Order: sequence, then structure tokens, then C-alpha cells
Amino acid sequence: MSLFMFELRKLLLNKKTAILLLVLFALYSVIGFSTSLFLIGSNDAYKDYETLSADYEGAIDTEKAEKSKRVYDEICARYGTDSRMIARCIKDSPETILDVKYKEFCERIDEYRNGTPPESNEEPYGINTLQSKIGELEKQGQQNTFEYKKLCDSLQKLTALGEPEFRNILLWENLFTNWGEHMMQFLLLIPLTFLIAPVFAIERSSGMDHLILSSRHGRREIVTAKLLSVLVTSTVVVMVYLIATFVFCFLPHASFYGWDTTIQSIPEYARSMFGFKVWQFTIVSAAWLLFTGAVYSLIVSFISSRMKSQMSVVGISLAILFINVGLAAMGDGVVQRIQMIIDFGLANVTLIKEVFGGYKVFNVFGMIVSYPVMAAFVLGISAVLATGGIYWGQKHRAVV
Amino acid sequence: MELKFEQVSKNYKDKKVLKDISVKMSTGVYGLLGPNGAGKTTMIKIMADVLRPTNGRILYDGQDIHIIGNEYRAKVGYLPQEISFYSNFTGGDYLKYSAALKGMGKLYTKNRIEELAYHVGLQDDLKRQCHTYSGGMKRRLGIAQALLDNPEILILDEPTAGLDPLERVKFRNIISAYSKDRLVLLSTHIVSDVEHIASKIMMMEYGVIRYMNTSEEYIKMAQNCVWLAKMSAEELVEYQNNAVISNVIAKDGVMEVRVIDEEKPFADAVQTASTLEDVYLYIFDYLPEKARR
Repeated sequence: MSLFMFELRKLLLNKKTAILLLVLFALYSVIGFSTSLFLIGSNDAYKDYETLSADYEGAIDTEKAEKSKRVYDEICARYGTDSRMIARCIKDSPETILDVKYKEFCERIDEYRNGTPPESNEEPYGINTLQSKIGELEKQGQQNTFEYKKLCDSLQKLTALGEPEFRNILLWENLFTNWGEHMMQFLLLIPLTFLIAPVFAIERSSGMDHLILSSRHGRREIVTAKLLSVLVTSTVVVMVYLIATFVFCFLPHASFYGWDTTIQSIPEYARSMFGFKVWQFTIVSAAWLLFTGAVYSLIVSFISSRMKSQMSVVGISLAILFINVGLAAMGDGVVQRIQMIIDFGLANVTLIKEVFGGYKVFNVFGMIVSYPVMAAFVLGISAVLATGGIYWGQKHRAVV
Repeated sequence: MELKFEQVSKNYKDKKVLKDISVKMSTGVYGLLGPNGAGKTTMIKIMADVLRPTNGRILYDGQDIHIIGNEYRAKVGYLPQEISFYSNFTGGDYLKYSAALKGMGKLYTKNRIEELAYHVGLQDDLKRQCHTYSGGMKRRLGIAQALLDNPEILILDEPTAGLDPLERVKFRNIISAYSKDRLVLLSTHIVSDVEHIASKIMMMEYGVIRYMNTSEEYIKMAQNCVWLAKMSAEELVEYQNNAVISNVIAKDGVMEVRVIDEEKPFADAVQTASTLEDVYLYIFDYLPEKARR
């Protein structure tokens, strides 16, 4: 058996991890299943929704817009304005769900046309807003500024994407909520932390360091074997999450309806500047989660290579994760001051909604670089530094 | 083959654990004796390349082991003082994992494991989980691990701790047979482990190698200093506080005491041949520290 297979066995192919993975699969399945049922009560209700929404699909219809607005106001009067409360109360009524969804769609159309108000702190969005901002900069003769280039690029992309169209995207919306919300960070990254934490620390705590460091392959090859096993483990855990949530998100209603529509039809991704179809975005999202999971695992491995105790590794890794999540959840005033830390912190780069859900670009030597590219670059650098640090550390490691 | 320590020292913060050790070793069995805290394990760790010296270097056939790195470690078999195992590994897994770390081929690994398991008496236990092994079995498994790749340099730190007398004799025989054309460094508290098999024995104390001699040379050092005297139990209680006693045998209510002393301790004391254990006591307990320098 090769060194890699032994390391894989220590980390993944053993009874304890197999049990943990089974438990995780069950947990993720329950999450996928329950969120799907929470969205719309029964299979029959979903089939009704599918039939009803077929009439609404396409460009905005003012008559339907007015009707849906009226229904929505009635619902708000009855249940309040909290969207979760509304969703919970109307889950057994496909007609009402459709009206609420159509009303949200109308708001998105309005946003597409008129965009963010001038006093908003958000990135400028919407055809009118962008045109007016571009006009202001042209009047001031600032055509050579990065801001001007950015707004023009944003307008060009928004125009090319066109006005969103209404589609039945209910189940996919649920899938991307499961894949792209903070809940995912806790459900996925916390178990991953516990699984990866012992990778190097166990050698110190168990005393196997003597044997490893005195052997021919104990300084470099073992690191390669361990890192490969870390990457395989991380891939398996993320795949378990992706597969379980995917299967149990669609299974209750046995439908993939909406798979070929654009991601702008999903409310959370309405402002995205990427012209992905839903099926394409599913692949991109899965790849992104696998990538970020792998980078996070390498960071945990680096911490593990510097620690004696597995619990210290878990503690430090989770502290880093929670601090990142905490910072990202701070008020606008704080976030604006540490924007770069937030943008490239673990909390944001691991969330597909943050990375792909809006128009965020960076000025790199005057060039417009999109957020996913920058995030991939920063994550890549982190991975290289973590890997390099582990190799360097192992080469110079001693048993005292 | 030659292994040379050149003024090797090791400090832990302000504490000097090894002080300018310079020693040359070639093929044969080298014993390393000394009291607790003498620096034996530190010296061994540095030799096994799991610890870097603060100053000085170790040369393997003229090349710095730190520079040749893997090439040197490929020639080393190391049994640390405390043997550790992964809880879910069987004895066979442990040896296969060690073989993978040493970069051994599959067939060679299989043959060597079979051969060594037989030598250390674990051929029927390789499929058992390591955590179910007794202390002696763990030690024997560790010895098999150290010998796995037929190392040119074998470093053993307290290899016989936990072995019963029969196992210790067996172990000594394995090492003796193995030591031909190889360098074996054996650190121990048990003098008899090295007495009969070591070609050279190093006596270490306070991070310094005080002596490096053959067993016979050591015995000569204390040849006129070992006495047998008889006394009552009450006399022994009083006497032992001011004397170095290497052994006491009670016979018919009379104590036959083995005393280390350069002077005849009692008028009726009889001189006797010294053993390495006597010499150990003579050096570390009888001689004043100044005389050992």
C-alpha cells in the first residue's frame, strides 16, 4: 500500500469517518428534504404551482403584476412583512406562492430598470441609475477613471443580459439557498474542520513523529501524501453535501423544472452579471464549493502542522471561520472600513451568493477584474502559502 | 562506513543538554550508558536526524547528514524510547506503513515483514490491532520496524525496556547477528544489555561522553576496586549510607555485600573480579565528579 493510501486510510477510509459521513449524509438529506417541503407543502401543491406558473412565464405582464401586488398586500396585512413567516404561512397554497413570487419578480424588473436609489451605499445597479451616473462622470470629464470604466462595463453587461423573465424556478432557488447561505458554512466547514484537524497534529500527539521524521520519506513525500489525502477527504465531504442536498431538494417533487433558464430568474442572483443558465451555474457552484472546501482544508492542514493537539487545531480553525463570519455580519460602517478583509475573508469567498450574485469588480492595474477571478486568485495564493508552509515546516521539524 | 560527531551541542533555551560531543563510530555495536538526564536520548535523536544540533555537525562518511538528508535517513533504522501506534492499525499495517515511509518495494516489504515477524516472535500476531499488544510485544514490533529496511545504522533507545529476560536474550542475539558490517548504537539503563555485545561502550553524563572504551578496558578500570564483605543486616543499614554497594545477597542471616572501593573496606573483605555494572557504579557513584572529567 502506498503512503498516500495509508494517509487516506487514517483520514477517510476508516470506521469512524465512515460513520461520520453516513451521519452527515443523513443530516444533509434531511436539510434538503425539509427545505424542499417547507418551500411548498406537498407534491400535488407543487404540480399545481408548475401548471399555474406556466401561464405567468415570460416578460412582465402589468395585469398580473397588479393582481400579485394586491394579493401580496393582503398577505402582509394578515401575516406581517417577514418573508420567512410569509413563506411558512402560504406553503400549502400554490396560487398565493405564485402571486408572492410574481410580485418579487416585478420588483426585480423595477430594480433592473431604475436600480439603486442615488443615496444608496450599494454598488450602482439598474439601467437608469447606471446611465445617469455615467452621464454625471462624462459631464465632469472623468471618462478615464476606473469608476467610469466600471459603470460602462456594468451597463454593457446588464444591457446584454436583458430584462429578467419570470420562470418557475422554485426548486432551484431552494437548492442555491442550501448551497450559498451561511448555513452551508456551518454544515460543511465545521465537520470538515474536525476531519482534517488530526492530519499532522496526530503525529505529534501520538509520538509517531519519531518514526516519520527519521525515515527517508518522512520530510517531503509524507507531506504530499497527506495533502493529497486532505484534498480527497475535502472533496468527498463536499460531494456528500452537494449530492445529498441536490437529490433531496428535487426528490420530493420529482422535477428539475427551470434547469435551462438564466440565473437572473433566481431572486438571490437577479443582480448577477454572469450569463449562466441554471444547469451551468449548478456545475460552477459545485466546482466553487469543492475549490473553497479544498482551500479551507489546506488552511486547516497548515494549522494542524503547527499544533500538537487536534482540539487546538479545531479551536483555531473554527475561531478563524467564526471571526470571518462575524465580521461579514457587522454593520455597514464597520464593513466599509475593512471591505477588503470582508471581500476575501472565508465568510464571503465560500458563499456562491456573494461571489456570483452581484456585480463586484476590482481595479487591478487599471483593469477590471471580476470578484470570482480575484477570489480564486486570493484563495489560490492562500492555498500555495499554506502548502509551502507545511512543506517548509516538515523539513525543519524536530522532535524535542 | 564512519559516523563522526563534530563538537555537537544542543541547548534548550539556557540549558545545555549536549556539550561539544566529538566522537567517531564505525561498524560494530556501541553501547551508550549513563544516568537519567545525561543527554543520551538527545544524542540519539540528533543521530536519527529528528532533532537538529544547536552547534556542530554529524558527518556520515565525511558528508554532513543535514545536507545529504534523505540519503542519510535511508540508511537509518530508529527505535525511539516510546513507541507509538495508530489505534486502528494492526501490527502488519504498522510495519507496512513503516516500509512505505522507508520507500521499500512491495515484494521486499512482504518478505522482510515475514522474516522479521518470525525473528521477533510476532508471526501469529500481525493481524491483531496494535493497541491489544502487551508492552513486550509493542517493543518487539518496534524492533522489527527499526530493522525493516536492513539499515546500515541502527539506533536503539532503551530497546529492552518491558522485555522479559528470555526476550532480552533473544533481542541481544538478533542485534549481535545483525551488527556485522553495520553500526548499532544502543542506549540503555540496563548494563547487561551491552556488556556482552557492545564493541565499544560510551559512558555519558551531564551532556558529555566521559569515557569510550571496550567492556574489557572498563573492567580493568575497576579491577582492584570490587570487594566481597560479610556483615549483619544492622551493620549493613548503617554502612550503606557511606558506601557504594553494587549487590547484597542474604545467606543464613548474614549479608554478603559487594562493595566498590579503591581501599579495602574491611579487614576480612575479599577482592573479586569486577563486572561492567560495578564499573558503572564506580564511575558514576564512587568517583568524585572532578575525577571523571
